[in-house]
Amino acid sequence: MKNAFWVMFCLALLALSIFASMGMGRYDIPIRELASFLSWDFLGLGAKPIDSDLYANIIFDIRMPRIFAAAMVGAALAVSGGAFQAMFVNPLVSPGILGVLAGASFGAALGIMVSEEWITVQLLAFTFGFAAVIVAIGVANIYKEASGKTILLVLGGVISSALFSALLSVVKYTADPYNKLPAIVYWLMGSFGAVDKNTALIVFGPMLAGIIILSLMGKYLNILSLGDDDAKALGVRVGLVRTAAIFFATLISSLTVVLAGMIGWVGLIIPHIARFLVGPDNRILLPMCALLGAAFLVIVDTVCRTAMSVEIPVGIATSLIGIPIFILALKGAKKGFA
Amino acid sequence: MSIVLSAENLHFDYGKTQILKGVSLELKEGAIVSLLGPNGTGKSTLIKLILGLLSPKAGHVSVYGKELTKYGVRERAKTIAYVPQSSSVAFAFSALDVVMMGRVSRQSWFANPSRLDKEISMHSMERLGVAHLADRAYPTMSGGEKQLTLIARALAQEAKILVMDEPISGLDYGNQLRLLETIISLSKDGYSFLKSTHFPEHAMMIGGTTLAIKGGAVIGEGASRDIVTNELIKILYDTTVEIKSTDCGYPVCVPKFFKNIKETA
Repeated sequence: MKNAFWVMFCLALLALSIFASMGMGRYDIPIRELASFLSWDFLGLGAKPIDSDLYANIIFDIRMPRIFAAAMVGAALAVSGGAFQAMFVNPLVSPGILGVLAGASFGAALGIMVSEEWITVQLLAFTFGFAAVIVAIGVANIYKEASGKTILLVLGGVISSALFSALLSVVKYTADPYNKLPAIVYWLMGSFGAVDKNTALIVFGPMLAGIIILSLMGKYLNILSLGDDDAKALGVRVGLVRTAAIFFATLISSLTVVLAGMIGWVGLIIPHIARFLVGPDNRILLPMCALLGAAFLVIVDTVCRTAMSVEIPVGIATSLIGIPIFILALKGAKKGFA
Repeated sequence: MSIVLSAENLHFDYGKTQILKGVSLELKEGAIVSLLGPNGTGKSTLIKLILGLLSPKAGHVSVYGKELTKYGVRERAKTIAYVPQSSSVAFAFSALDVVMMGRVSRQSWFANPSRLDKEISMHSMERLGVAHLADRAYPTMSGGEKQLTLIARALAQEAKILVMDEPISGLDYGNQLRLLETIISLSKDGYSFLKSTHFPEHAMMIGGTTLAIKGGAVIGEGASRDIVTNELIKILYDTTVEIKSTDCGYPVCVPKFFKNIKETA
């Protein structure tokens, strides 16, 4: 019952934050007008508002892609963080543990340096996100005797992250300091400013699929947190579950970099808060992570684009807003991972 | 009684360190086999080989007459259940949640636990006397309570072969005796047990057969009450005891140093 309440609460929070975000921005749309426009547009209720063309343009072409990208990225980072925490049986793990974010950042930076085309940047970000995880798994499998042990995966991730961070520095060092370097640095701070409708539509499908599949794997992720031997003896194909979890978590988190660059903290703090609310059962925890992560990033991004006359990079805001929330959550959440 | 599990000539090594040098054993339906041996002698490794968690370098294991390697993971879990020495869970699952995880091989792929799963899990907890702990967070439980919960999980798995790695070690005196009693009563219901233990007295008390292992090889095998002797304990543990029998036939090991203390007193 308690869990049903929190799911409903987070659904409402997400719906409310999306609604509010649609009205807020450089051109404010008052709530009443927003409501009557949306009910006219979606439900055919009431008269056609006078400003309907303008509103349609602002809401559907400008704000909606950005809002939904923020929601999707928030959900993806939180779910992949939650799934990795279960898989590594460690509540301090975040989506970047296997190097996906370092690899994707390097890919994006490389793309910015060598090309003017946005699609190149996105493709390279996605490709190197996966490449970094493959490097991590490769390193972990060098030691045959202990292959498949999660501790080696963590070590592989550390090595892979370090490698791609170093490569990123090489790119930054050699990039043209007047227009390429600032673009790279700005990209790495994370922003939804560059989200366009077409990219968003392409990546939404795989992201949603990844989020849903990871959530469906909740039962098996639960059992992985008993340790490998126990899970195998209980009849779970540990290697398969782990490979699938890594694949889908890597897929959705490298797509977050494609959409919005580097956004930290969401994948660490949201699973904690969600676990505090609904407990450690991944079947309910991961959907909860998705809802809460989506709402969190929609709210933070709305603050980013409205609080000051210049836009605040969302990666900075998630850290500044996330850290105090995290400290508060930890205070109450000790029982979540005793 | 039919043989439910047999292992033949198992060899295993970790790199250059040889752990098992040709161990064979047989487990009959409703029987209890105790593995006795000093620390580091390969008991846990043997258990992992029998569960299929490790693969032997030579030899093979068969269960109900079928090669263990021919079993699918789920099918194997329906046949053999494992009670580990300890299991640490970093997240605050309730004890009942942990027990219900034993049901996973009985559920269809993405199904949630059914009411039946829950009933069977609660029943297993009742049988181990830990039903009152169902809602407790597993990480906050004591070592003994965790151990009993893990045994309940193995029962919930509904496999008829139970493999236990030192199930008694973490338990208080009352729980030790209750668990031994439970093992005996379950064996009468047709469950077969393979368990490692550090207590020769328990092996004798519980009956069944004992496999004495030292240095990765079997050095003695037979009915527990016959094979556990002063000499065997001297060889296994390098300590001198005298095995005595009380009025009712209950065997006890009296350590030599105890006699010495009494004589000097």
